[in-house]
Amino acid sequence: MNDLPRRRRAPGLGVFALVMLLTALLGGLAGFGSAFLGDQPGAVGFGITAVIVSAAMALGFVACVWWWRQIDEAAREAHKWAWWWGGSAGMAVGAVLMLTVMQTGDSGALPASFGSTPGEIFASGILSILLFQVVGYALAWAGWWLKHR
Amino acid sequence: MNNRLKVLRAERDWSQADLAHALGVSRQTVNALETGRYDPSLPLAFKIAHVFGQPIESIFAEG
Repeated sequence: MNDLPRRRRAPGLGVFALVMLLTALLGGLAGFGSAFLGDQPGAVGFGITAVIVSAAMALGFVACVWWWRQIDEAAREAHKWAWWWGGSAGMAVGAVLMLTVMQTGDSGALPASFGSTPGEIFASGILSILLFQVVGYALAWAGWWLKHR
Repeated sequence: MNNRLKVLRAERDWSQADLAHALGVSRQTVNALETGRYDPSLPLAFKIAHVFGQPIESIFAEG
């Protein structure tokens, strides 16, 4: 075999899995922390919870920056394409549901798991759109790699 | 865009993993490049040219 220039070896799947596990643990810690420390009435509890979740999100974002710098340009292209097409399509599906509920005013058609208070329904609505986006993103990402195999 | 990546790699008896390591990309990316289903960025094209010791235009062609 001819000489081949060697480059710094990229982290393996195990390292990525470990970082994912650590960020999941961080999310769990933030959940516990906000459940205990944020369990106070009014703006104080809301503020403490927001601060803890924000700190966890910031650390998660740091992990994302590290991950983004490790992957190569094709992997980045796949994610960018998936975010635009899959995320947008998922958001469009969520928007159709949101507009349907808004225009008919029939919140009774919503699943009971959406909650009953305005806050619960608001949070469930946001979560639903995020879920549609993630599903669209995952499908588009898989489609990109299938197309470029 | 057409390219001669597969031929050049075979001439040197390199595996896709070898080339991927030399370029700092994944094996999947090398495969996508070889099948012509992914066009590299200019920096990656220069890196490929450097690894094979050939000018870019002798590796990539409009197609």
